[in-house]
Amino acid sequence: MIEIDRVSQVFQTSARSDHLALSDISLSVEEGAFVSILGPSGCGKSTLLYIVGGFVNPTSGIAKMKGKTITGPGPDRGPVFQEFALFPWKSVLGNVMYGPRQQGVRAVDAEAQSRALIEMVGLKGYENFYPKELSGGMKQRVALARTLAYHPEVLLMDEPFGALDAHTRTRLQNDLLNIWERDRKTVIFVTHSVDEAVFLSDKVVMMSRSPGRIRQIVDIELPRPRRRTELLLDPRYQKFVVDIERMFDDDDEAGPGA
Amino acid sequence: MRPRILPTDVLLGTAPIALVLALWQGLVSFGFAPVTLLPPPGIVFGRLLQQLVTSTFQQEIVATLIRLFGGFLIAVVFGVGIGIAAAASPAINSVVRPIVRVLAPLPKVALYPALLLLLGFNHESKITLVAADALFPILLSTYFGASTVEQKLIWSAMAAGTPRREILFKVVLPAAMPSILTGCRIGLVISCIVVFLAEMITSTDGLGHVLVTAARTFQAVDMFVPLITISLLGLILNGLLQAVRSYLLRGFPEV
Repeated sequence: MIEIDRVSQVFQTSARSDHLALSDISLSVEEGAFVSILGPSGCGKSTLLYIVGGFVNPTSGIAKMKGKTITGPGPDRGPVFQEFALFPWKSVLGNVMYGPRQQGVRAVDAEAQSRALIEMVGLKGYENFYPKELSGGMKQRVALARTLAYHPEVLLMDEPFGALDAHTRTRLQNDLLNIWERDRKTVIFVTHSVDEAVFLSDKVVMMSRSPGRIRQIVDIELPRPRRRTELLLDPRYQKFVVDIERMFDDDDEAGPGA
Repeated sequence: MRPRILPTDVLLGTAPIALVLALWQGLVSFGFAPVTLLPPPGIVFGRLLQQLVTSTFQQEIVATLIRLFGGFLIAVVFGVGIGIAAAASPAINSVVRPIVRVLAPLPKVALYPALLLLLGFNHESKITLVAADALFPILLSTYFGASTVEQKLIWSAMAAGTPRREILFKVVLPAAMPSILTGCRIGLVISCIVVFLAEMITSTDGLGHVLVTAARTFQAVDMFVPLITISLLGLILNGLLQAVRSYLLRGFPEV
């Protein structure tokens, strides 16, 4: 579905020094897979996601979607950002309807679809509210609905629950899994939380920092549908979390900059 | 969810105005200024009410309003247009920036004699002056608002299928609206000041002209009437703009 082929990204931090954010990344994501990219802050994991989204052009290497080189954003890849990025001048319904309307769906149909999606993410009754009137968790539900509304083939989630409190975060993780298990869209999910990555994913891509490289890819062979309460007691789940945390700890002890 | 205007706020707002009026009355009552030169507020407001119903005075108000609105609207159209264009295109920005830097600090009223010669004594010269003065605050705040639009709003719209050329109208313009309206508010106050100033300098009608005429003939009461009128007009126009603002920005966090 998505092929990332030897992608590197260099940012110019000042006139003389360059920062190598991503170094020689190759990764393929299969259709219908839930893949997390896990790493410390500053490892370039969001940059990698922006490259797949077409928002950032890689300095070298190419990213492909279904065999076609990615040159810009498109409705086949739907982003969900940590900052929500809802349009403040549009109501909840207006935000969710934006995508379908841009895709040329008639207003009546777009509204019907959007209302159904708003209900699916648990916000029935909030259609005419403005984003500023909602809590962080509700805003992120709207952002998810807005992206799902134009039927992207891949969801690109950039630390979507990073700005939320622990309780809201858990609820949204559960709801995301429920929604995902219905239609099994391909998801690339960037996070720095080990629990979150293991709980949600089929595959966890571990990244290291400076320069951003893929350290290891771990297949999370846990049965689905996953229930949080069962999983937390499951020794296999616990082992994945502990193993991954250990690998990151080893990294940190290997020396500065590792 | 919208902040309500409480009666105590209104009361607090009118208190300073009442204080100014009391001070004014006090200056006259205690003999600091002779009544013939500084007429008490009661007489001025009485005269204002008398004047407001006469068609000659109404025509003066209309003349001032035409110039004020004409100049202000031209400033809004050009200020917002150029500001957005400069924020969107580095090429346009590199042309606009030096021009703005040179012209913004220039006292536009210095252009007025030239404008009079070029455009004549009618509305055109005054409208141009008002537009020139109100343009820059609107242009600068539009540019600021449009160039600080959150990148991820633009990305979200592009991912949803909005073509790059439509981003300007569908995302940048609405996202910059709070700054644009702040600029408009400043521009409106400047327009009120400049239209009056222009009419005072050279004009055959308008509120500023009424004031100058009265001053030259030592008609102290008639001198204060246009002054109060332009203040009231400014108050009303600002209120109208505030209403437009709270409607357009109803979705934005506290402004």
